[in-house]
Amino acid sequence: MSFTQFQKLPAYYRWPILAFVGIVVLALVQELTGQGLLTSTTTIQTALKWAMPILIAGLGGLLSERCGVVNIGLEGMMILGTWFGAWGTLQFGSPWWGLFFGILGGAMGGLLHAIATVGFGVDHIVSGVAINILAPGTARYLSDRVFAQMDGGSISQSPRVESLGGFTWPVLAKGPDLFGRVERLDWFIVSDVFGVLRGLLFQMSYLTAIGLALVPISAFLLTKTRFGLRLRIAGENPLAGESLGINIYRQKFIGVIISGGLAGMAGSLIVLDLAQLYRQNQTTGRGFIALAALIFGNWKASGVLAGAVLFGYPFGLSLRDLEGTATRSLLLVIAIALVVVMVWAFTKQNIADGILAGTVAVGSLLFFLFTNTAPSWLPGTMPYVLVLLVLVFASQRLRMPAAVGLPYRKGGS
Amino acid sequence: MSTAIELIGITKRFPGVIANDNINFSVEEGEIHAICGENGAGKSTLMKILYGMQPADEGVMKVNGVEVDFSSPTDAIAAGIGMVHQHFMLADQFSVIENVILGSEPTTVGGILDFDTAKTHLAEVGDAYGLTIDPDDFVSELEVGERQRVEIIKVLYRGANILILDEPTAVLVPQEVEALFDNLRELKAAGSTIIFIDHKLQEVLEISDRITIIRRGKSITTVNAADVTAGDLAELMVGEELPSPETTESTVTDVVALEVQNITVLDEYGRPVVHDVSFKIHQGEVLGIAGIEGNGQGELVDAIVGMERPLSGSVYLGGLDVSLKSVRQRRDEGFGYVPKDRHEAGLLLVAPLWENAALGHQTKPPFAKGWWIDRKGSHQRTDEIRERFDVRSPNADVAAHALSGGNQQKLIIGRELIGDPKVIILAHPTRGIDVGAQAAVWNEIRSARAAGQASLLISADLDELIGLSDRIVVMFHGKLVAELDPAEITPRLLGSYMTGAALQGGAQ
Repeated sequence: MSFTQFQKLPAYYRWPILAFVGIVVLALVQELTGQGLLTSTTTIQTALKWAMPILIAGLGGLLSERCGVVNIGLEGMMILGTWFGAWGTLQFGSPWWGLFFGILGGAMGGLLHAIATVGFGVDHIVSGVAINILAPGTARYLSDRVFAQMDGGSISQSPRVESLGGFTWPVLAKGPDLFGRVERLDWFIVSDVFGVLRGLLFQMSYLTAIGLALVPISAFLLTKTRFGLRLRIAGENPLAGESLGINIYRQKFIGVIISGGLAGMAGSLIVLDLAQLYRQNQTTGRGFIALAALIFGNWKASGVLAGAVLFGYPFGLSLRDLEGTATRSLLLVIAIALVVVMVWAFTKQNIADGILAGTVAVGSLLFFLFTNTAPSWLPGTMPYVLVLLVLVFASQRLRMPAAVGLPYRKGGS
Repeated sequence: MSTAIELIGITKRFPGVIANDNINFSVEEGEIHAICGENGAGKSTLMKILYGMQPADEGVMKVNGVEVDFSSPTDAIAAGIGMVHQHFMLADQFSVIENVILGSEPTTVGGILDFDTAKTHLAEVGDAYGLTIDPDDFVSELEVGERQRVEIIKVLYRGANILILDEPTAVLVPQEVEALFDNLRELKAAGSTIIFIDHKLQEVLEISDRITIIRRGKSITTVNAADVTAGDLAELMVGEELPSPETTESTVTDVVALEVQNITVLDEYGRPVVHDVSFKIHQGEVLGIAGIEGNGQGELVDAIVGMERPLSGSVYLGGLDVSLKSVRQRRDEGFGYVPKDRHEAGLLLVAPLWENAALGHQTKPPFAKGWWIDRKGSHQRTDEIRERFDVRSPNADVAAHALSGGNQQKLIIGRELIGDPKVIILAHPTRGIDVGAQAAVWNEIRSARAAGQASLLISADLDELIGLSDRIVVMFHGKLVAELDPAEITPRLLGSYMTGAALQGGAQ
């Protein structure tokens, strides 16, 4: 199958194939370096947990940008989600209430962003940055008034909250544990694939399940429903929509509010699944990484998932990998990926890209060969480096919604 | 035959202008009715009112005899009116079917799109009117003519029997125009009423049954296409205007100041908008370019000043080949440029006058000293411009938007002339300014000419063009099609050249 044929496949075929290739590469490197952590169940689980907030916030970004509004305020809306997620749980005694209020809190941020950008025509970046400044301040103020009065709480931290919990898929990952058996057989590649799959299914948290389900749901919503079609026209050519009697303002408001709700959900997930308490600065810039995942994913739901996994994986790995040897072997993975990019660029007569990819590949390889353990800054830096590389090499192929970020006024034609 | 649409006394005002002034006409059911008028005559505003995109300030609109009051296109669509916009209202990354169903989507339960029903209905519409298109193609992959077909199908899909087409031929090549006209005839045969806006007179005569002429926001008359010639239409469109006041003795010299050789510029679809244009302007000469807007004048000017790289051709300024030089270098060699839209390209409206006066000269004394902006020198030079060109303003520090349009324009002309350029390009230098400022601008153009500068003048004001120019060339469909002597031409004749009527032998 040639490359162009591959590109024409629908996204739900393409991404699994790419994921499989990725796992094969990881498994190869694992064999080469004798490093067992790269595809182990525990690594995948941690990576998935790290990927989830990025995924859900990224889907939030997707809905907002598809209706034409840049949502750089995702980070702030996530922060609102973390605070309200913790508060809802403590106040009403159930993490599900926490999730509900987390979503609501984020949606409030979305509403604010929509009022500013859609209602008043404020520049999207300005409004987003304002929300990113406003949200942590609001959270700190509210913490002072609420959490500081509670046992074990302070101005920067809530008392512990209950986790939402999860479940293990029967048959496949427990009981007969089919996937686990195959993993333990230690067959080259096959075991690795099943290790990854079992990692997904073992003690899967409810939020992870919801988050993964949101990917096809978002894709379906956007491409197959009336709501999605009208949402997308607002991001592609709002005047065309208006000329057919569609209320563009309404589409944009709904899109941005849902976007905020998803960001709030991502924030609550950090509280309810990962940390089990609210802490100041808990989101650590994942709203921005979510935007990067959105760009990486070419404004498609399945692409956002791929981006979230790609950016979450180095974080997850580094948490399991205390000596830094596994993270070091990731450098080899990157080198291999860049060599592929180089070959592809050269076949496309794109000499400059090819040379650049080759150079970075060599650098990455040298880094790998001349170190024994990865420096501690590497896992944290890797997502950003990855997104830069993707933007450099894929920017011509990426296509954002045509009218995203542009001001829209009714009757402006 | 009954009346499909009747407009009585439609008036629409915008701040400072009356776009439509007591417009009256009616369209019979099943006819192709053309609306003719120059750019800015108010045709598009009228159609937006008819399609519910803008409300009229006064007047009554009747559709099939019933008085209507549209507050949005939805109302117009419900009344059976559909519009094909001049600039396609299509989303490039949507498929044809998505573009067509948008706004009236067939759905199954839960708002899920029913593409099967949509495609069946699309095929029915296509068969009924002889319009075929693949519903799964992406619009970005379609040719211009096909995109227009999608627009027409979009309207028919909604069951419209009154179609408004706003300058549908503007973006089409002749073969596509023929195909469009065939489609329109089929639509008419199927009982649709078509309102066709255009200013290309041959086309209008070919396709329409009746023609309503609009001039300066007023409906002048409605005529039967069979009873008139292109020349009659041109006269009605342009109107008999007062003879121009200005002609002074020639100051034209033999020295070529600007020479343009074989310039060709392509548009976004890869078609030539400027086609192999060549001309010379001598020192002390004003060359006027006449043409209906959109015939390539803007692109030609962009290519001359260096804002757009032409496909081929050269520009010589005083014998020096500047074809490969940047805008900055060309200005330094002696180009002055008054852009057609002073708000878009001429001024920074929120910046003070002295900053505006420095634009384009910002690297040279007296506006700069080495790396630094020379505020004092800039103010002095700005005051000089304000005085010499009578820019009425309190001081050089007020923002440009505080000035009236005429004074803004005088500031721009002053900025461009004060550096004594060899060639000055004037695009619509008196558009939208009052009579006093207009006379002042004309005086400046005349004194620049007397001082030996060469000028290229583009204007939609035919009196201005005839009065100021030493020679006039006519641009039509991207080509220079005629060279005329302003001493011997009337606005009426010039108008018929501009619309292409005279070229086809129908003017006199």
